[in-house]
Order: sequence, then structure tokens, then C-alpha cells
Amino acid sequence: MKVWIIAGMNLRRTFSERTNAFFMIAMPFLMIFVMGLLFGPGQQLRLGVAGGDQGPLARDLVTALTKGERVAVEPFGGADALRQAVERGEVQGGLLIPAGYDAGLRGGGGAEVRYLSRASDLRSLDLTAWVRSVVPQEAAVLRAARLGPFDESLAAARRAEAPGVEVKVSTAGEAIFPEGLGAFSVSAPSLVLLYTFLSSLTAAVGLVALRRSGIARRMYATPTPARTLVAGEALGRLFIALAQGLLIMLGSALLFGVDWGDPLGAAALLVLFAMVGGGAAMLLGSLFDKEGPVSSAALIIGMGLAGAGGTMVPLESLGETMRSVARFTPHAWGYEGFAELVRHGAGVTGILPQLGVLAGFAAVLFSAGVWALRRALIRP
Amino acid sequence: MAVLEVSGLCKSFGETLAVDGLGFSVGEGETYGLLGPNGAGKTTAISMIAGVLGRDGGEVRVGGQRHHPAGRRTKAMIGYVPQEPALYPDLTGRRNLRFFARLHGLAREEAGRRAAEVLELVGLTGRGDDLVGTYSGGMARRLNIAAGLLNRPRLLILDEPTAGVDPQSRNAIFDAVRRLTADGVAVLYTTHYMEEAERLCDRVGILDGGRMRAEGTRRELVALVGERDQVTLRAEGDLGAAVRALAAIAEAGEVSEREDGVELLVRDARAVLPRILAAVTGTGASVGSVEVREPDLEAVFLHLTGRALRD
Ligand SMILES: Nc1ncnc2c1ncn2[C@@H]1O[C@H](COP(=O)(O)OP(=O)(O)O)[C@@H](O)[C@H]1O
Ligand SMILES: [Mg+2]
Repeated sequence: MKVWIIAGMNLRRTFSERTNAFFMIAMPFLMIFVMGLLFGPGQQLRLGVAGGDQGPLARDLVTALTKGERVAVEPFGGADALRQAVERGEVQGGLLIPAGYDAGLRGGGGAEVRYLSRASDLRSLDLTAWVRSVVPQEAAVLRAARLGPFDESLAAARRAEAPGVEVKVSTAGEAIFPEGLGAFSVSAPSLVLLYTFLSSLTAAVGLVALRRSGIARRMYATPTPARTLVAGEALGRLFIALAQGLLIMLGSALLFGVDWGDPLGAAALLVLFAMVGGGAAMLLGSLFDKEGPVSSAALIIGMGLAGAGGTMVPLESLGETMRSVARFTPHAWGYEGFAELVRHGAGVTGILPQLGVLAGFAAVLFSAGVWALRRALIRP
Repeated sequence: MAVLEVSGLCKSFGETLAVDGLGFSVGEGETYGLLGPNGAGKTTAISMIAGVLGRDGGEVRVGGQRHHPAGRRTKAMIGYVPQEPALYPDLTGRRNLRFFARLHGLAREEAGRRAAEVLELVGLTGRGDDLVGTYSGGMARRLNIAAGLLNRPRLLILDEPTAGVDPQSRNAIFDAVRRLTADGVAVLYTTHYMEEAERLCDRVGILDGGRMRAEGTRRELVALVGERDQVTLRAEGDLGAAVRALAAIAEAGEVSEREDGVELLVRDARAVLPRILAAVTGTGASVGSVEVREPDLEAVFLHLTGRALRD
């Protein structure tokens, strides 16, 4: 009973504190919204095209690029205007079809199109992948047309094109973001992980205050066994993490229509990840004797692991090395687990490897946290 | 019967021997003061007695039962008031009290009732629903004491409860302690204020360097060092004759004439005072006023340790 009283006190105090309430309640939703706009696949990609109206062949290329409705083409008068628009991010990429494109192709020679992309812009990467897959198709058709009289052969080649085949944006042959997935369904799982962990660590300041204020001693002066105190505080940390995660999951489902997939799988992921966060919080809160270092460490570790674990920029867009580094963070496993549930409709059995690894992280961190807290709360 | 019995209590922090073989007892309704300068080992001793700090050696009995740091039966009898207010600043006074009352095992409604009672006891009823963070230092200390009273302790342990509080809060604290001892509560009180120990405590233990230097009632302690009371009479008339008459009193020590009267040192002035007055008026002199200054614990501390209590 006392365990619940102590745990409840932890939870209530953490969420009723004014700055905490902002960082733990308002901020996550703001972030889901913003990140949904930034990275969500529901956004249309804008491709700037210069020289797209010089002839039928150029127009064919542009038409091919607008197939699938994800890409909107915006015509530009010249190379300079196009470059500027790409630089400013008004469009995510620019295709420069050289003057003489049609003539060159008809004449049997080749044609070179130039593509401008934006560095470190995920949506630009996305668009690049699309352009890269469309242009070669068009090229293949044009190559076929050169085998005979141009226009006849071209018409034949176009007919030969399998109807209804659509090129999808992909990296490893499988769609990262299945079509129809809401923008927020991509950002929400990342933010659940980022915030559950970060808020847990930030709230660890409370454990330091508990010791420094002498409240821990006063609690121990009551007829309450040490194990009850530690269990109460540990459960409190778990509650804080769970509450933060649950708040974002339920809130994003209600506000942004995020579908979390299999409830059992989502719950299992959340509980295990909350244990990871709670355990790390207990370790952090026991390690330092002052609040300041805990706050800074919480921010550095919380944001660092979130970044390395692929919850700040999608894991899929990270390079090979970064991806292997990510494997050492609980975040990456949580991200993968949620990705399976949310994007591919997997059930608990589909995320067993992720659950297993997270359970390992949780077991190690939570028991280490309890051990450290027991020593820190009641000194011999 | 003694509510608290302590013997051979020891604790060292590395090289520092903070408490060294401390022993004393506190009876029902008694206020016992541990008097010593900063660093004497008061907080360390009290923490071990409250069971929030492990001890290296010694025995503590509360209500006749052996008391271990993990002992819940004995802890239920103790009210512990730490030196610095140990309270949640972001909660109201009442909420704090209810929380600690629950940890003392009180049911929800009972905890609410008891919180109201102890708020009344320390004169904070009007501020019970304000956040502790908004309290003045004195109010926080009063609430700190209230939290130590939640379990109706038989032994109340107060660690320097008046350090740096306003006179009003100080008096409220004294009143609360007096009311509790009247109800039979044993109070263990640490302080480095000599006046406080003299005013409030039935018996005083003088602690220095972790060791008990002397112990007893104020009078016993003073007698221990052979100090005498100083009696000053303002008088008019033949002061020389008055001096001679006073010197004839067997208990009188040095007698001296002053500008407006006479002064003498005497053991137990209260007992001798009628004869002193008789001797002076016998010479035909008229006595305007009498002042008796008993030697204080400051003098005792100085005598025992060769140092002043406060530097
Ligand atoms: N946790 C601790 N670690 C190391 N030394 C300590 C600790 N607590 C107290 N001491 C030392 O023990 C001695 C007694 O301290 P304390 O009991 O706080 O004295 P008081 O309460 O009489 O001022 C001091 O020398 C102090 O420095
Ligand atoms: Mg002290």
C-alpha cells in the first residue's frame, strides 16, 4: 500500500510541476505536429522543372514524373530561377531539361538532364529516389524508340509498357512509408520513444532533491522498510515513463488519428521501454548529488540516444555505420518495433526480436537502477 | 521509566570520530538538551537515535525496546524533526503532512484529521493550504515540527529547531514543546544556543568532539564547576557597614562595595537571599533592588573545554 502512495506521489509531483507540464505534455504534441509536417509521407513533394515545355518528349518526361500524385511539378523559366528555388527549399528538387532535349533525342543522339537536390533534406532525398527511378524508365523507352523510325517505335514502346505498373519510392525494395499512412503515424512513434526516455531522465532530478532535502531520511524515519521506499520510488519512475508514453500514444491517436496497430504489441513495447527509461533515471538520479549535473546529463544522454537511435531523423535515412551504432540504443529497437506495428500491421509475434532486446535493456537498467537507488537513498 | 536510553553510541566518518561513546537517557515528560557547538556531533547522534543513520556501535532503547535502524516498532514511537525542513516545497503544508501521515500507517481520513490537528498545534492552520515553497523560514520550521508529531510520538527528537527563526516562530516552537512534555512526551532537543538549553531543558548534556563532557540539570552542571551566584544589591546608607555585615555570613564569598551598592558571590543565592537582605537592612541601609545572576552554561562549557560555546 505504501509503495503505491510513494509511487503516486512521484507521478503527481512530476506532472503537476509547471515547467514539467509544458515539457511533458504540450511539447510532445507540438513536436508530433511539426515533425509530421517535416517528414511525413502525406506531404506532396514539389519538383521544379525548367525546360519542360520545349517539345513532346520533354513533356512526356514531366508527365511520367507526376504519376502517382505524390509529386507536384512546378515549371520554372530558367536554370537560375530553378536553382534559387531549390536553395530556398521552395521545391525539394529541380530537374533541368536542357534546350535541345527533344531535338537531340530525335536526332539519335543522347540527352542529359540535370537534377538539383538539397543536402540534408529528407524530403529531398525522398524526391531524388523518385526521380532516379522514373528517369531510367523513360530512358529505356526512348532507347527502344531509336531501334526504328522514331515516332512509330516510340509509340510502340509506350504501348509495350506494362499498364498500371507504378514505380514506388523505395530504398531496399520495400516501401518504408506505405501509401495511405498519415504523416503523424511516422513521427509519433519516434516521439514516444524520445520523450519517454528524455522525460524519465529529466524527472530524475526529483530523486536527487529527495535525498538532498532530507525527505528520503524523513520517510525512512517512519515505520516504513527500506525496500518499500525503494520499491515505491522505482515504481514511481516507471509510472512517470509510462504516463509520458501513454499520453503521447493516446493523444496522438485522438488528435492526429495515429493508428498504433496491435494494442498488445504496442503495450508491450511501451512497458519495456518505460522500464528502460525508469531504470536509466534511477541510475542517473543516484549517481549525482546535485540537481544541475543531472539536468545536463539528462539532456545530453536523452537527446544523444534519441539521435543515435534514429528517433530524431528516421532510422532508414541513416548511413550504414550509424545504423550499426543505433543497434546499441534501446531507441532503435523500439523504433523498429513500432515501425512493424504501425506501418506493416505486425502483431506481438512479429516484433519478438525487438521485444526481446528491449527486455534485455530493461532488465539490466532497471535492476541496476534499483540497486543504485537503494544505496543512494539510505546511506549506512 | 526512561523513554529513551542510549549507551556507548559510536559513529565515525573515515578519520572523523563524530560520536564517541555517547550515553544518556530521557524520561517521560522530560526535555533533554544536547548542547554543543557546530560539529560537536549532535546531528550524527540524533540521526542514529532516529534510526535514519546506521551506527558503528552502541545501543539505543526506545520505550524499553531495543531500537535498530530498521526497527519499525520503535520507529512508530519516535517523532523525528531533522535540522533542515524536509518537506516538498511544491506541495501544500497539509498535503505534505498527509503524505507523511500515510507513511506512518494512518488511513486516508485519519491522516487528513491528524494533519489538521498538528497544523493547529504549531499555529499554521491558516496557512495549511498554501504551498510550502511560499512559507517563511520560521513557518517551514514549524511545519517541519508538525510533521514529526503526526504519529503522536512518545519520543520527539528535534535537531536545532530554532536555528535562524524569527522570535515569533521561536516562541511558538517553545510553546509546542512545553505542551507536549506536559502530555508526557519525552523530548530530545539539540541546540548550540546556551539560552535555549537553559530556558527549555530539564537536563542538559554537554557535547563536544563527539563526547559527552558533562550532564545534569542546569544547577548540577553549574555546581560541577564550582561556580557561585553573583548577587548585586543597590542600596543607600553605610555601605561599609553593609559589607562587613555581609562578610559575616558563612556562605558568602568575596564581598565588595560598589558605587551605588554592594556585590557578593555566594553559593545558592536563592537560599541565602533572606539573610543577605536582613544583614544589609540591619545596618540601617535601604535596599533599592536585588539582582541575582546564576552562572550560565556558557561558563560551564568554557570551564570544561577551555573554549567558548560560540566563536
Ligand atoms: N556524512 C558525513 N560525512 C563525513 N563527515 C561527517 C558527515 N556528517 C557529519 N560529519 C562530521 O562529523 C562531525 C559531527 O557533525 P554533526 O553531527 O553534523 O555536528 P553538529 O550537528 O553537532 O553540528 C563533524 O566533524 C562533521 O564534519
Ligand atoms: Mg547539526
